[in-house]
Amino acid sequence: MGFFDNIILGFQVILDPNNLLFCFIGVLIGTLVGVLPGIGPLGAIALLLPATLKSTPTSSIIMLTGVFYGAMYGGSTTSILVNIPGEAASVVTCMDGYQMARQGRAGPALAIAAWGSFIAGTLSVVGLMLVGIPLANAALSFGPPEYFALMCSGLIIVAYLAQGSIVKAMMMALLGLLLGSVGLDIVTGLPKFTFGIDELTDGIGVGPIAMGLFGIAEIFTNLEQSLEGGKIFQAKIDHLWPSLRDWAQAKWAIARGTIIGFFLGILPGGGALLSSFVSYAVEKKVAKNPERFGKGAIEGVAGPESANNAATGGSLIPLLSLGIPATPTMALLFSMLVIHGVQPGPLFIKDHPDIFWGLIASMYLGNALLIILNLPLVGMWVQVLKIPYRILFPLILLFCLIGSYSINNSTVDIYVMILFGVVGYLMRKFGYEGAPLILAFVLGPILEQALRQSLLISKGSFTIFVTRPISAVSLAIGGLLLLSTVLPYTRKRRGEYDKLKED
Amino acid sequence: MKAYDRGSSLFWLLLSLYVAIASFRMGVGTPRSPGMGFMTFGSSILLGLFSLLIFFRTFLKGEEAEISPIGFSGVMWKRILFVLIVLVLYVKLLPVLGYLITTFLLMTLLFWILKGSAWWWVLASSFITTLATYFIFSKWLNCQFPEGLFGL
Repeated sequence: MGFFDNIILGFQVILDPNNLLFCFIGVLIGTLVGVLPGIGPLGAIALLLPATLKSTPTSSIIMLTGVFYGAMYGGSTTSILVNIPGEAASVVTCMDGYQMARQGRAGPALAIAAWGSFIAGTLSVVGLMLVGIPLANAALSFGPPEYFALMCSGLIIVAYLAQGSIVKAMMMALLGLLLGSVGLDIVTGLPKFTFGIDELTDGIGVGPIAMGLFGIAEIFTNLEQSLEGGKIFQAKIDHLWPSLRDWAQAKWAIARGTIIGFFLGILPGGGALLSSFVSYAVEKKVAKNPERFGKGAIEGVAGPESANNAATGGSLIPLLSLGIPATPTMALLFSMLVIHGVQPGPLFIKDHPDIFWGLIASMYLGNALLIILNLPLVGMWVQVLKIPYRILFPLILLFCLIGSYSINNSTVDIYVMILFGVVGYLMRKFGYEGAPLILAFVLGPILEQALRQSLLISKGSFTIFVTRPISAVSLAIGGLLLLSTVLPYTRKRRGEYDKLKED
Repeated sequence: MKAYDRGSSLFWLLLSLYVAIASFRMGVGTPRSPGMGFMTFGSSILLGLFSLLIFFRTFLKGEEAEISPIGFSGVMWKRILFVLIVLVLYVKLLPVLGYLITTFLLMTLLFWILKGSAWWWVLASSFITTLATYFIFSKWLNCQFPEGLFGL
């Protein structure tokens, strides 16, 4: 089938009323979770995962991906109007977005964020089509050592990008690997770490763990604080179409944000958060008057918002072409596809053209729907922002309970979710992050299989990972990143030691 | 804040020791023929080493965590503990009382805990939420909720 035949196939899939409805629900929920501070796309996808069990894999991936890129649109609304990021990737939008709102330019800020997101989101889908297929073809020659190395470097990059200590992030990745090994052994079929609990022989479900770490833990953290929300910007929101001057100022920021977001999105561990920060830094660097940044520069809104949307298309590439989820959100999409019996990887596009091209078409349509949802209907989201958390939190909690129960109709899953809710809450308190854990948890069984197969191929020699070019380069990147964190530290300690000796 | 790191690193160290011993008992095998515990043994050893690193760093002069843990001072313990107990009770009672009764009780408690609302609002909201979620998840999405002793 030719390229255009595939595009037509994709639109045939998305124009199916069922898929169309799932696409709309996905982007609507995505915008909602983006607007509401507290629950991000990762938590929302974890929550919705069980609800997709009764639908087709095509509808499910269309909806869950819609939640992901929809949240990027919604997050900017809260950043601009309340100065609180609706989701992590919109943190940087607060800096100039809220300042623009304070200067009476909330409308242009919201508009350029939405249009920038639309342009970047749409272009990243084009990039996904153009890069995804050749990469999948190239990946057919990858063996277990390449997969092992790519996954290892992905985990190292996620740990490297963690907000806190890289050592703690690495520890969480290792904990994720250990949790991922619970269940039946992939070779012998014997139970591992199941403690005699029958429900654990199939392993721990990704849904309960993700809902616990990102849903319940978030609720516990919020319960500590006053449950009244931030102050919403009260002025009338008008001029929801950027002026020619706004476009002129923002056009290159959108272009740069799109490119940065797309390519950082492809990198393992990259994703929307990193893209938005890098885009902001680049915009500040190339600006003629960098002192305007932080005081309401439109480029400071356009660049990061474009970047975080472009990253959504980019981050789908390693998942669909290589079968390697590069971010925790992609790890949940990976799990959803596997639950439906669909294996992401080099043969995915060839074996499931309806899912791949349906998803592509849904992203074109979803981005168009999001422009409508986020600009003419912005007033509705402002009203949503006024819902107090004391009403929202019992509802989120109930959805988490129903979600984890309905996966297997088992209360054991709810216990697992509550347990990981407590663990996640304590992890936040002690400065440990959940993102490397969940990514390693999903990658764990594949990583173990790749490691054992590689060692069997090489007859026990670990040199197989450095003699093959792709795996050697991947591991070298991971190793260099680790070195880059260790070297400044040892230099600092040595300096202090020398100083002490001199004294 | 060093006390947090010291305590947490000891916890991870103990966990890694437990997993390493259990993996060893399962059979680590050799690189030529990796056993069931091969990967978990390696991961637990690395986890243990990182725990030791965090633990010893807390004794170094002037060493602080890159991001200080948030800490527990001023935390509304009672509120979190109450929600936790309510959640565990919910799971215990769900198979006995069924979805409708247990969820109504849960929502009443959760809406009530944060105060600021009249009792009739709490009851009405709980009732509507319970019924709405029942119809959406049970009737529309075909989730099978436990009916309990009363068949509800």
